[in-house]
Amino acid sequence: MRALVVFAHPVPESFGAALRDTVTETLRASGHEVRLVDLNAIGFNPVMDAEERRRYHDPGVNELPVADQIAHIKWCEMLVFVYPTWWFGLPAILKGWLDRVWVPHVTFLMPTESQGIRPNMQHIRRIAVVTTCGATWWLSKWVGEPGRRTLLRGIRPLCHPLCRTSYMAHYRMDSSTPESRARYLAKVRQKIARL
Amino acid sequence: MRVLVLFAHPVETSFQAALHATVVERLRRAGHAVDDCDLYAEGFNPVLSREERLHYHDLGVNRRNVAPYVERVLAAEALVLVHPVWNFGLPAILKGFFDRVFLPGVSFRMENGKVKPSLHNITKLTAVVTYGGARWRALGVGDPPRKIVKRVLRAQIKPLAPVDYLAHYDMNRSTDATRSAFLAKVGAAMDRF
Repeated sequence: MRALVVFAHPVPESFGAALRDTVTETLRASGHEVRLVDLNAIGFNPVMDAEERRRYHDPGVNELPVADQIAHIKWCEMLVFVYPTWWFGLPAILKGWLDRVWVPHVTFLMPTESQGIRPNMQHIRRIAVVTTCGATWWLSKWVGEPGRRTLLRGIRPLCHPLCRTSYMAHYRMDSSTPESRARYLAKVRQKIARL
Repeated sequence: MRVLVLFAHPVETSFQAALHATVVERLRRAGHAVDDCDLYAEGFNPVLSREERLHYHDLGVNRRNVAPYVERVLAAEALVLVHPVWNFGLPAILKGFFDRVFLPGVSFRMENGKVKPSLHNITKLTAVVTYGGARWRALGVGDPPRKIVKRVLRAQIKPLAPVDYLAHYDMNRSTDATRSAFLAKVGAAMDRF
C-alpha cells in the first residue's frame, strides 16, 4: 500500500524520532511505498489565517495554500500518525495540519438541509496511530482520549467505510525506562508489520 | 474579578468575533477587569520548539519564551475561552497555548512523577464554543473539546470552581435566530459572571 507517515516532534533526537524511524523502516520492509511528512522539520505553519478561513469553503481555492500536503493525502491508502500526546491531544502543529489540509470539497462534502456531511477520502483504508502519553491508561480513558478520538472518530469517517484503525500508546512516559521503551518499539514494529 | 479572555478566530467579521466582542464588553460593563488575549491579533506562535521541549521540566528557564503569557495566566482570577471547534478539537493556535504556556511550575507541578495541578488562582472557568457539526455527531466522536474544558482544565484550576460550557452546535445549518439566541445567552452569562 501507499503509506503516508505524518510525524510531529520538535526534538530530532527524541524517542518520538525513534518511533518514526521504526515505523517507516517496518513499513518499507513489509513492501509498502512510504512518504514521510515531518511537520517540525518542514516548518509547517499550523495557524489557519484570516484569508484561508474566508476561502475555506471555496472549491479549488481552499486547497492552494497547502497543495503539497493535499497531494500527499490524495496519494496515500494508509495514514500513520506518530506524535507525542500533549494535554491529552495532538501537538498544535499536527492539529493545525488537520485544520488546514483536510478542507471541504477535497476530504468531505459539506452537509446540506437534507444530507449530513459526506466523506470524500475513500481511497484511505487504514489509519494507525503511534503515540506516547505522560498520563496513565485509566486517566487517558477518563478524559476520553481527545487526540485518539480526533483522528480515529473525526478523520476516519471521511475515509473508506471499512477503513481499519489501530492505536498504540506508551503510557506514563515520564517514568518510562529503557526496557519499557524497547518493549514499546518492539510492539510498534510487530503491529506495523501486520498492517 | 480579573478575567483572562482567550480568543482564537482569525476573521474579524465572523460570528466568533461577535461572541468575543460580546464577552469582553459585557464583562467590562459588569465591572470586571478584562485582559483580552486575542491570539490571532497578537500573532501567538503555537509551536513548542526543540529548546522549549528540552527545558520543559526545568522550572528556572521553561517559561523564558512565553513569560508575558505566563504572567497573564497567573494574574487572572477567571478564565473565559472563546473559540470555534475545528475537526472536533481546538484550533491549533489555542491548542498550542496550552502546550507552551501551561507549563510545569505554571499550571501544575511534578511530584514523584505525578502531576499536581496548581492553577488555583483561577476560580471560575467558562467556554464559549461553536461547532460546525450537530450535537449528536460531536457526541459520537466523544466531544473532545468539551472534555478538555470539563475534565482537563477543570482539574488544573481551583478545586470545585464553577465551570460553564456554552456551545452552539450545528453552525453549518445555523440561522439568524439561533445565532442571536446564542449571543443573548452568552451575554446574559457574562452579565452574571
